[in-house]
Amino acid sequence: MKRTIPLVLVFIFGLLGFIPFIVPHEIVQSSDDFLRNNFLKILAAFALILGLGSLLRVHIDKIKRKGQNWPYSWVLIITFLVTAIIGLFGGVTGQGVLPTRIGSFSFDIWTIFFNIEVPLGATMFALLSFFMASAAYRAFRARSTEATLLLVAAFIVMLGVLPLGNSISPHLPSFAQWIMDVPNVAAQRGILFGVALGMLATALKIILGIERSWLGGGGE
Amino acid sequence: MNISLDPWVWISALCSLAIFSFLFRDNPVYKLAEHIFVGVANGWAVTFYWHNVLEPSLVDPLFRHGQLLYIIPCIVGMLYLTRFIPKVSWLVRIPIGVSMGYAVGASIPATAQAYIIKQIQGTILTPHNFASWNAGTMGIVWSIILFIGVLCTLSYFYFSKEHKGALGIASRIGIMFVMIGFGAAFGYTAMARVSLLIGRLQFLLGDWLGIIN
Amino acid sequence: MKFVDYLTKIDRRIIYVILLAVVVLPLLFPSALSVRVMPPVEKLFHAIDAIPEEKALIIDFDYDPQTLPELEPMGFAILRHAFSRRIKVLALSLYVQPLGLAQNALIQVTEEFNSTAQTNRDSVIYGRDYVFLGWQPPPLIPILGMGESIINVYRIDYYGNRTDTLPLLKEIKNYSDIALLVSISSGDPPKWWVEYAQNRFGLQVGAGVTAVSASEFYPFLQTGQFSGLAIGMKGAAEYEELVDNQLHVAGRRKASEALPSLTYAHLVMIAFIIIGNIGFFIKRRQK
Repeated sequence: MKRTIPLVLVFIFGLLGFIPFIVPHEIVQSSDDFLRNNFLKILAAFALILGLGSLLRVHIDKIKRKGQNWPYSWVLIITFLVTAIIGLFGGVTGQGVLPTRIGSFSFDIWTIFFNIEVPLGATMFALLSFFMASAAYRAFRARSTEATLLLVAAFIVMLGVLPLGNSISPHLPSFAQWIMDVPNVAAQRGILFGVALGMLATALKIILGIERSWLGGGGE
Repeated sequence: MNISLDPWVWISALCSLAIFSFLFRDNPVYKLAEHIFVGVANGWAVTFYWHNVLEPSLVDPLFRHGQLLYIIPCIVGMLYLTRFIPKVSWLVRIPIGVSMGYAVGASIPATAQAYIIKQIQGTILTPHNFASWNAGTMGIVWSIILFIGVLCTLSYFYFSKEHKGALGIASRIGIMFVMIGFGAAFGYTAMARVSLLIGRLQFLLGDWLGIIN
Repeated sequence: MKFVDYLTKIDRRIIYVILLAVVVLPLLFPSALSVRVMPPVEKLFHAIDAIPEEKALIIDFDYDPQTLPELEPMGFAILRHAFSRRIKVLALSLYVQPLGLAQNALIQVTEEFNSTAQTNRDSVIYGRDYVFLGWQPPPLIPILGMGESIINVYRIDYYGNRTDTLPLLKEIKNYSDIALLVSISSGDPPKWWVEYAQNRFGLQVGAGVTAVSASEFYPFLQTGQFSGLAIGMKGAAEYEELVDNQLHVAGRRKASEALPSLTYAHLVMIAFIIIGNIGFFIKRRQK
C-alpha cells in the first residue's frame, strides 16, 4: 500500500497531464485549468516548506553537534529569520504592518535583496572568470586532432563575436556565426535527439511504475 | 573619484569584496558572506511564497471566503511535512507522486513535439529549409552539411554496434562536429564568465568608487 | 629548459592580475567600439517591432543575480523598445529570485520614460501600459495556464493588486491576445515556453540567453521555434545598438560599455592558451 498508492497516483495524474494535450474539448481544457490553478499550485507552495525545513534542520543539527563551521549556521538562521520577518510583515513593497524605514534609511525586503543578495550572488559567479582563465591555460592542450579542432573553433568564435573580429576580417564574424548556425546546430541536435528520447523513455517508465527510484529506499 | 555616501552601496561593495577574497583562499569573511547569501535568499523566497502564492491561492479562498474545496490541496500539501516524521514519512510520496505525475505526463507530448518532431523537420532536406538560410543556393549546401552532421553525430553516440566500416567513418565525422560544437560553446562560455566579472567591476568602480561614469 | 617550464607553470595569481588589469583598464579609459548586429538579434528586434497595437508582449524575466551583467542590459533594451513603440507589456518570472531584478528593470525604464514625458499619453502608466504579474510556482502553472486565462493564474499581481481590476488585463485575456513572449533567462525556461506554450497554444517565443547556454538554443532558432535570439553581453550590446540607432531611445548602454574589456579579456585568454600549448609542444618534442 505504501508503494502502491503513490504509483497509482503517478499513473492517474500522468494521464491527467497528458490528455489535455491531445483532447482539445472545452471540458477537458477547463478541468485541466482548474486542476492546475487550484490544486497543483498549492502543492508547490508546500514543497518549499519541505525544502526550507530540510535546510533549517541541517543547520540546527550542525549547531547542536558543534559540527565544522557551526557558528556560520547561526548566521544563516538569523539572516533567514530577519529577512523573512521583514518580508512577511513589512510587505513586498514595504507597506506592511512592520515599518521598514528609519528616516531616509530603508530596509524593506527589496532593498535587502538588491543590496545584499544581488552583490553576493553576482560576485560568486564573477570569480569563475578567474578560474576559467587559469584552467584554460593549464588544461587546454591540442593533444589530438579533435582537441585542436575544438580549440580552433573556440578561437574563431571568441574573436568573431566581438568587434575585434570585424577589425581582423569582415568575414570573421560571419564565419563565427556560420559555425554556430551549421556545425554547432548539427552537433547539438544530435545530442538533443538522444536526450529527448531518454526523457521520453524515463517519463513513460515513471508513469507506468517501472521507474521507482523516486519512492525512496527501504522495503516499505 | 566620487565615492558613494549611500550606506547600502557600501554594504553591497563590502559583500562583493568578501566574495572576491576567496581568490586568495577560503577564509572566514567568505564563509560569512556565503551563509548570509543563503539566509537572505531563503528569506526572500518565503516572503513571496506567502504574499504571492499561499495567501491569495489558499488562505484567502479557504479561510476568508469559506471555499471548503481548498481543504483537499491543503491536506495533500501538508503531507509534504510528514517527511520529518519517520513513522509516517512514506506519506510524502503522495504529494510527490501527484506533482511529478502531472509534470511527467505533460512532458511527454511536449518533448516529442518540440525536441523530436520539430527538430527532424528542421533537419530534413526540403525547399523550405533551403530557403530558411536566406543564402540562395548556398542554403542547399548548408542544409546538406547540417543533415550529414546530425546523422554522423547520432552515429557517434550509437554504441550497440562497433564503430567499424561505414559506421566508423560516420562516427569519426560525428565527433568532429561535436568538437566544433563544444569549441563554439567554450568560446561563448569564456565570454559569459568575463561578462560577469565586468558587471561586478562596473558596480565597484562606478556606483561605489565613482571612478567610471 | 627553465623557460619551457615557466611557460607551462605561470603562477595563477599572475593570470588573475593580468585578467583583472585588462578588464579594469578599458573601463577606466573607455573607448567606443562599433557593434555589428548579427541576424539572430535582428530577428528578435523585428519580431518585437512587428507587434500590432491590439496585442501585447510578455517578458519573462528569469535571470538571477548570478547572470545579471549579461541579461539585465537585454531586459532594459527590450523594455525601452517596447515602451517607445507603445507596446503593452506583461512581465513575469518563473522563479522567485529574478522578481527583484525584474522590478528593478521595470522601475528604472519606466522612470527614464516618465522623466521626459510631456503628457499622460506619453507616460508609461502601471496597469494601463504594463503589468508586473509576479510569480506563480511551479513554472508549468503559468506556462500552460495563461493559454486559458491570465487572471486565473495570476489572481493578484506582484504588488498585491487584483488583476481583474487592471485595465490592461481587461483587454489581454490569454495567449490569443499575446503576439510574442520573450524569455530572458539563464537556464531552460525559453525551451519550456516552446515545449508547452508554443506547442499547445501556438505562442511565438523569442529568447535572450546567457552565452554559456547559447549553443544549445541554436537548434531552436534554426527550426523557427524561436523568433529571435540574443546571446549574452554581446547580444545585449547588439540590441542596445538597434534601439539606439533605429528608435533613438536614450539610455545607459551597459553592455556596449563592456565590449572593450570583453575584447581584451578574450585576447588574454587566447594568449594564455597559446602559451600553454607552446610549452606543452616543446616539452613533448624534448621527450
